[in-house]
Amino acid sequence: MTEIAYYPGCVSKATGREYDISTRSVARVLGIELIELDDWSCCGATHVPNETLAVGLAARNLTQSELPVMTTCSICYSNLRNAIRRLEDNGLRARVNSLLERRYKSTRVMHVVEMLSESLANRELPIKLSCLKVSPYYGCLLTRPGNGIDSPEHPRVLEDMVKMLGAEPLESPLKMLCCGGPIFMPREDAALESTYHILLSAKRAGADAIMVVCPLCHLMLDAKQGAIERRYGVDLGMPVLYITQLAGIALGLGPEELALEMNSISPLPLLERVYQSMTRD
Amino acid sequence: MSEVAFTEEVIRLAGDEIRTCIQCGTCSSSCSTAHLMDNSIRKLVHLVLEGRKSEALASESIWLCTSCLLCTVRCPRGIRPKAVISALRQICEREGSVSRDASFEKIFMDQIRSRGRISEVLLSAAYALRNPDAAVPIMEMGIELLSRGKVSLNAGVVKGMDEIERIFRELGND
Repeated sequence: MTEIAYYPGCVSKATGREYDISTRSVARVLGIELIELDDWSCCGATHVPNETLAVGLAARNLTQSELPVMTTCSICYSNLRNAIRRLEDNGLRARVNSLLERRYKSTRVMHVVEMLSESLANRELPIKLSCLKVSPYYGCLLTRPGNGIDSPEHPRVLEDMVKMLGAEPLESPLKMLCCGGPIFMPREDAALESTYHILLSAKRAGADAIMVVCPLCHLMLDAKQGAIERRYGVDLGMPVLYITQLAGIALGLGPEELALEMNSISPLPLLERVYQSMTRD
Repeated sequence: MSEVAFTEEVIRLAGDEIRTCIQCGTCSSSCSTAHLMDNSIRKLVHLVLEGRKSEALASESIWLCTSCLLCTVRCPRGIRPKAVISALRQICEREGSVSRDASFEKIFMDQIRSRGRISEVLLSAAYALRNPDAAVPIMEMGIELLSRGKVSLNAGVVKGMDEIERIFRELGND
């Protein structure tokens, strides 16, 4: 069994619970043992303008395990990858290490997208998703500023994932427009405007669902979708699935193991359609 | 802080490459909230290089940046415009700005410093107390999340708080 250190991030305990639950369920099926990072702390998200302090906060998490570290949040991922780059500087590394209980040496950080790409390749999936058109939404920090996972300008990794899961990927021109999540509390109008355009673009393209890889994107596109519909006077009703929820469906997991009932826009009708299309075949 | 000292401080925080800006506007044209800004990112860099501190710090644009980093990916000079924004935010906060945006960042960082992790409930409550006009949308979202079982009152406290405190104390004034 492969062992991976899991950094859930602060959101996993509340607004992103279905991401945490579905990640753990999918890992179990894939034979991956996720070991929650001991005493993990906040990576600083996008709210620590002092860059040295931000590196220190992220670095602490990189010293909590010898195993490769997997995170599901694109903000945590970008911050941890950035810390690794900055800690190549000997002066900064010595300074940060003088503050930490355990010294930072080096480590591998991956996004759950990478974990799934590796472990789903060439795997026979019991549930066929071929009746679903899925618009993959990258958001900003999965690939930026240059996290090594894919091109920050023309990424394909999520389209490839949708295909690997047996669904049809629909490319949206706004797939990398920021959802506005980081400023939604102090600047709600600006944030909702971005989210609205992303949802509308997927709807116009004829998507059955949007697939996301970050809990903040999910909060904006799913939990705030009702508020957006009221504000703009539109009917969207667009299910927004975490990559782990979609992968879990294809792997044959049920709604409870994937916490599908926690999504604001219910994905259960889609699930029904998937099961019906299979009985027809 | 003099005009020259202001320019030098931003450059110290955000990198020497800023001096090489050719004002091409690639950053502004990549920005997802550019249409809502008073000064474009390109203009902010210009204000910094000219030492126009009060204009730069008063700009709403500093707080409309979502930290999406597309500007940073694309700058042909290797400048990190987002780092310029962060430097300006930091200077605003040091100078005691009490704007809603600055208060949000302060609450966020105070929470990391006191608990090691963010509790969305405590974060939202603290922010709404300081900014009552935000209370309605926050409560609206809270009700939606509560109905889905996604509100946690127990975010836990990190055990290694001594370490967190050392990180803030030693790196927080950089």
